[in-house]
Amino acid sequence: MATKSGNATALTVLSPIKNGILNQVSFADITRERCLRLPIHEKSPLSKVPNTYLARLFILDDVYYESLPANDKVFNFSDITSLFSDSARKKALPRKDHLKSKYLVFSSSFYGDLDEYLRGMWDNWSYVDHEGNQRDVRHIWEYCVAFDRVTDSAGFIHYIKRCQLDASLFFNGSTDDSLQDQLKALYLKQEFTRFAVEHQGKGAAEIQQAFKAFIERAQPENLASPTWPPGKSTP
Amino acid sequence: MSNIAGKAYAMNVITPIRWYMTWINKLIFKTALSNPSTLKGLVTLSLIHYARWVIIPRDGFPRLDPSQPKEELNYSYMLFFSNFNGSWDQYVDSFTFAIPSGLDLFWKWNVRYPKSVPLTPFHNYIRHNQIDTAHYYNAYPMASSNDVKSAQKIKKALINFNTASADKPPEEFLNDYNKLLNDMQHHFGDMKPTPIVSLSADAVRKRYLQIPE
Repeated sequence: MATKSGNATALTVLSPIKNGILNQVSFADITRERCLRLPIHEKSPLSKVPNTYLARLFILDDVYYESLPANDKVFNFSDITSLFSDSARKKALPRKDHLKSKYLVFSSSFYGDLDEYLRGMWDNWSYVDHEGNQRDVRHIWEYCVAFDRVTDSAGFIHYIKRCQLDASLFFNGSTDDSLQDQLKALYLKQEFTRFAVEHQGKGAAEIQQAFKAFIERAQPENLASPTWPPGKSTP
Repeated sequence: MSNIAGKAYAMNVITPIRWYMTWINKLIFKTALSNPSTLKGLVTLSLIHYARWVIIPRDGFPRLDPSQPKEELNYSYMLFFSNFNGSWDQYVDSFTFAIPSGLDLFWKWNVRYPKSVPLTPFHNYIRHNQIDTAHYYNAYPMASSNDVKSAQKIKKALINFNTASADKPPEEFLNDYNKLLNDMQHHFGDMKPTPIVSLSADAVRKRYLQIPE
């Protein structure tokens, strides 16, 4: 399946937003503002969702009209119609599309199984918004079509799957290890690099002793601790 | 809005594709998947964390309730989402220089795709069809994709070295230790926020706190 690459999964979700307004602001704009105001890095609610490598949210307001000139054989050929009349030329231009709904787009690259991941989203997505209110995942999807019927994790999993689109091609240019494994490895890379620099030119016995202390402190095989927290943005 | 989270940039591009040609694109993607050597060019672009192509049939936009208006579209749509390190220009240009024919193959049937060479029309095409990200999360903002891959190599080598050499006599230990450092020298490196990352993170923070730029 193209949505998986080894243990890594590409989740692509388009949730239609209701065409309505609240206090003169469209539901799409309310949703957009909520996404924009999400805390970032360590404080992002996604840092609490287990096994999220990278994820994003945005609003798809509409599709674009292809107005730019291009090397498109079909339309290049159709340009010949301009010899006959301007209206014939215009008829041969790309068609104009508009979406009737705006969509909340959620895209995530994560480790593991989809159901477990979505359950993790439902259970762990939490943050304090800019007004000091505690929010969960429902705050972002609140104005999406039919989301008012979602009341538990099973309902959330079912809902997201209805909005899910399969990837035709998922390219993994990184690793497909668990996030815990990736973060531990990054911690070790950082710490061992520093260790190597600090112990340059020292004697064999001294380095060996320091190395043993380093291993005891860094615990390379203990994925849980010490490690980098998800979303860590400062050294 | 932030397309940047630490060292990663989130690109979202949506382009129309003639609906009767989508099967060819899907076949191309399927062939690429079943013959990993065809993705060799992409693999050389080691600045990519993860990327995906999604084709939405013109009648395939999720419709969850009869009250939701049904989309009536002339074209199907192709979504391209990528997570990469570096600037927009570096990324788009590296695609053009590394895999121009592969790129053209993937977008070939998209309406008015200008081809990846020359660069300027291709830049314009991507900019025209790109959508900004509202919230972008990266589990390791300080690390590049190469850092993640290098980190796994260091972790494995470190565990093996500890098992095999930690208790050897000091001189033998030092020989093995130096060999470990030699073998891993391409994978070391202190990870810190780069200037561009710091500037963008600062801009995001100010926007979030509503501090005037």
